Amino acid sequence: MLFVTLAVTGLMGFFLPFSLLTVSVHSLIGFVFIAAIGFHIKNNFRKLRSYFSNHTALVLLVLVISFIAIILYQPAPVKAILSLSSNKGPALDHFEIQANRMTYNYSPAPHYHIQLDFKGGSSFKPEKPPYIAIWIENKSGYHIKSLYHSEQADFEKLLPYWHHKRAEYLKNKQLNGKKKKDAESSDDLDALSSATDNYSFDPKDYIVPEDKAKESPYRVMIEINLSGDGNEHYEDQPSLVYRVEVDNKDPRSYQVLEIVGFPKDEVVDGETKWSLYYADETITTARDLYDSAMLQIDRSPASKP
Amino acid sequence: MKKNHHRIPDSETEAEAEANNRQMGRRNFLKFGAASLAASGISSANATDVLLPENSESVSVDKSQIITSKVDILVVGGGSAGTIAAIQAGRTGASTMVMERASYLGGMTTRGGVCYPGLFDAWGKQIIDGVCWELITECVKMDGGTLPDFSKVAKRHWMNQIHINQFLFYILAEEKCTQAGVEIAYHESPQQIKETEDGWQVDCVGFGTQRRVICKQIIDCTGGAEMAGMLGFPRLRSEVRQPGSIQFLLGKANNPGRPTSDKGAGLLHAIYVHGADSTNSRTVTEASITGRKAVLDKMRKTNQRLMHLQSEPGFRESYRIQGDTVITVQDYTSGRHFDDAICYAFYPVDLHTKNGVKPKPLKPGIVPTIPLSALIPKGSRNLIVAGRCVSSDQLANSGLRVQAPCMAMGQAAACAASLAVKHGTTPGEVPLKEIHALLEKHGAIVPKKN
Repeated sequence: MLFVTLAVTGLMGFFLPFSLLTVSVHSLIGFVFIAAIGFHIKNNFRKLRSYFSNHTALVLLVLVISFIAIILYQPAPVKAILSLSSNKGPALDHFEIQANRMTYNYSPAPHYHIQLDFKGGSSFKPEKPPYIAIWIENKSGYHIKSLYHSEQADFEKLLPYWHHKRAEYLKNKQLNGKKKKDAESSDDLDALSSATDNYSFDPKDYIVPEDKAKESPYRVMIEINLSGDGNEHYEDQPSLVYRVEVDNKDPRSYQVLEIVGFPKDEVVDGETKWSLYYADETITTARDLYDSAMLQIDRSPASKP
Repeated sequence: MKKNHHRIPDSETEAEAEANNRQMGRRNFLKFGAASLAASGISSANATDVLLPENSESVSVDKSQIITSKVDILVVGGGSAGTIAAIQAGRTGASTMVMERASYLGGMTTRGGVCYPGLFDAWGKQIIDGVCWELITECVKMDGGTLPDFSKVAKRHWMNQIHINQFLFYILAEEKCTQAGVEIAYHESPQQIKETEDGWQVDCVGFGTQRRVICKQIIDCTGGAEMAGMLGFPRLRSEVRQPGSIQFLLGKANNPGRPTSDKGAGLLHAIYVHGADSTNSRTVTEASITGRKAVLDKMRKTNQRLMHLQSEPGFRESYRIQGDTVITVQDYTSGRHFDDAICYAFYPVDLHTKNGVKPKPLKPGIVPTIPLSALIPKGSRNLIVAGRCVSSDQLANSGLRVQAPCMAMGQAAACAASLAVKHGTTPGEVPLKEIHALLEKHGAIVPKKN
C-alpha cells in the first residue's frame, strides 16, 4: 500500500502542476516508508549481512549510487526527461540554463507565478554562463528579498551591487522602525515632488499582500556579469544591472527588463556607497549577454493547483 | 542630445560684452563706494553702502507723468522663464524690458522657494543648456555648492535637481539682465493692451508709476498667460487645479543652496495650500494669507522657531494657452519628437492632488520635446509665451511646469521673438532653422531626431 501511494503521488508530482497536497502526501508516506525500512533492516539484519557479502548485491549498490549521482548532476538526457514534468520547481523557485536562454521561476503563492526568461545574446555561452543575482527592491531602492544568485562566486567582486544591497538589508531593516516613526511625525508636511516612501521589508507586502491596501509597486532587479570579458576600456567589464517595476494594481502579463547601469563605489563620509552609472559606449559585449529579458507574471486563479 | 558636461563660464561672452557696452552708454547704474557716501553727507560705518546716482529717475520722478518706454521686446513676468527670456533677448541685440510684479527676479525659483531647479538631464546626458545653465552653474560655483553628476543614475528624480542659493540667484540674474542691456521694471504690471500697426501698446502701473510700453513683441512669462488672457485669446484651465505649497523652515537655520533635509531631498518644509490660485492679486493675497496661517498653526503645534518663510506660496498651475499644438500626456510620456521642437523637457508626470503626489517617471530613454507651436496662442501675432502656461493638457503640464523646461522655453521664445523683430514678422513665421541656429549659438540644446 505504501509502495502504491508513493508511486502514484510521485507520478502525480511529475505530470501534474504543483500541489501542496500531493507533495505533502508523498513526503509523509516517504517518512513512513523510511521508518518501515528501518524496521525491516532491524528484523532482517543477519540475512541482509550475508546478502551484502554477495557480488551481485555489490554491483546493485554501485548501480543505485550511480543512478542517484546521475539524478543529482542531471546530464542533458536526464534533464530532458525531467523537463517533461509539469511541476518545474513551483514550490518556491527554480533556475535553469539552457542552450540559448536562462529561465527563472518563482511562485510565492499558488495564484502568483513569476517567470523571468533571458534569451541569450551574442556573448552568451551556456558552457560558461554569466554570474547572476535576482532580487526584489521596494520603490525606495531597498533590498527586500534575494530570489536567486549564482553559487560559489566572489560576490563582492562579481556581483558587487547586489552584494552590498544585501549587506545593507539588515541595517535598513533595523532602521525601519525609526523611519516609520519619523514619517508619522511629519504627516502634514508634503515632501514636495518626492515619491511616497514605503518602509515595509516584508516581501509579502509587495508581491502577494494579504491586505490589499498595503500593496505597493516593487522592482525585480538583476545583476549580471561575465567574468573575464575585457575590452579596450576595461580589463573586465563591470556587471550590469537591469530592472522592471511591477505594480499589481496595474497588472501586466509581460514586461521587459530595462538596463539601469553599471555599479561603481565611492567613499562618502568614510562609508563606501554603491551607485549605478549610465552604461555608455565603453560597455560593449557585456550588453550582449542576453538579447532580451522578459518578466511574465501569471496571476490567474485558474493556475491554482 | 548633448554629452554630459558641467560648463561653468569663466568670462563674458562677446554678446554680453557688446550688450554691456551699449547699456553703459544709455543707462544709469548704482554707484558703489565710500567716496559717494562721504560727498552725500550720509554717515556710514563701512564702505559697502550704496547710493543711487544724482540723476536717478527714481529721485526725480513726476508721479503725474506717464513714462513712455519704447522697446523691441517686452517680457512680462520675471520668473524662471521670463528671466532667461529677458537675458537672451538682450543678448541678441533687441532692446528689452522685463516687467515683474515683485521686487526681484526668479519667480517660483526664488519667491516661491523652489530653489532646486531641474531637471537639466535625462538618462545620463544633459538636455537643457544655454543661458539658464550658465546662470545656475555660476550661482552654484560662487556659492561653493555642488552640481549633480549626470552620469550617475539618480535613485529619485529630484536627486538631480540643483540646489541653488535663491538670494544669490536673483542678484546674479539681475546682473546678467543689466549686462545684456535689459531694462528691469519691478513692482509693475500691465493693465491694458492695444494692438498697434507694428506691435503693441501696453499700459502698465506700479506704485507711483504709470508706464506706457510701446513694443514690437511680447513674451508672456506670467505663468498664467495673463497677456494672452487680456487679449482675449482662449486659455485652458482645469476644473480642479493642483495645490500650491508654502515653504518654510522650523527649528533649524536655513542654509541656502544646500540640502536641508536629513533625507537628502534638500527641501524646505512645505504645506499644501489647496485652492492656491495665481490668477490675480486678490487670489495671490488669499493664498499667501492661508499659507502663512498654516505655518503659524504648525509653529504653535510644534513649539518651534520659524527660521525661514518664503514670501508667497509656490503656485503649480493656473491658466495655459491654447496653441496650434496642445501637448498631451501621450505626447509627453511617449517622448514625441515634434517637427517644430525647440527644446527638451524631462520630469515625471507629477500631479499634486489633495491626497499628495505620486510622480510617474518617464520610461527609460524617453525625453519629451516642446514645440514652438505650443508657445504661440492660436491666432495671435507678435505674442509668444514661455513657462508653465505652455499649451498642454493638465497631466503633460504637471511635468512641463518645472523650472528647467520653463527656462529652456524662455530662451527659445526670446530667440523667436528677436528674430521676428529682425525680420519684421511674427514668431510663428520665423524659419525654424534660424531659431535653432540662434539657440545653438547661445549654447542651448536643440532637439535632434535620432
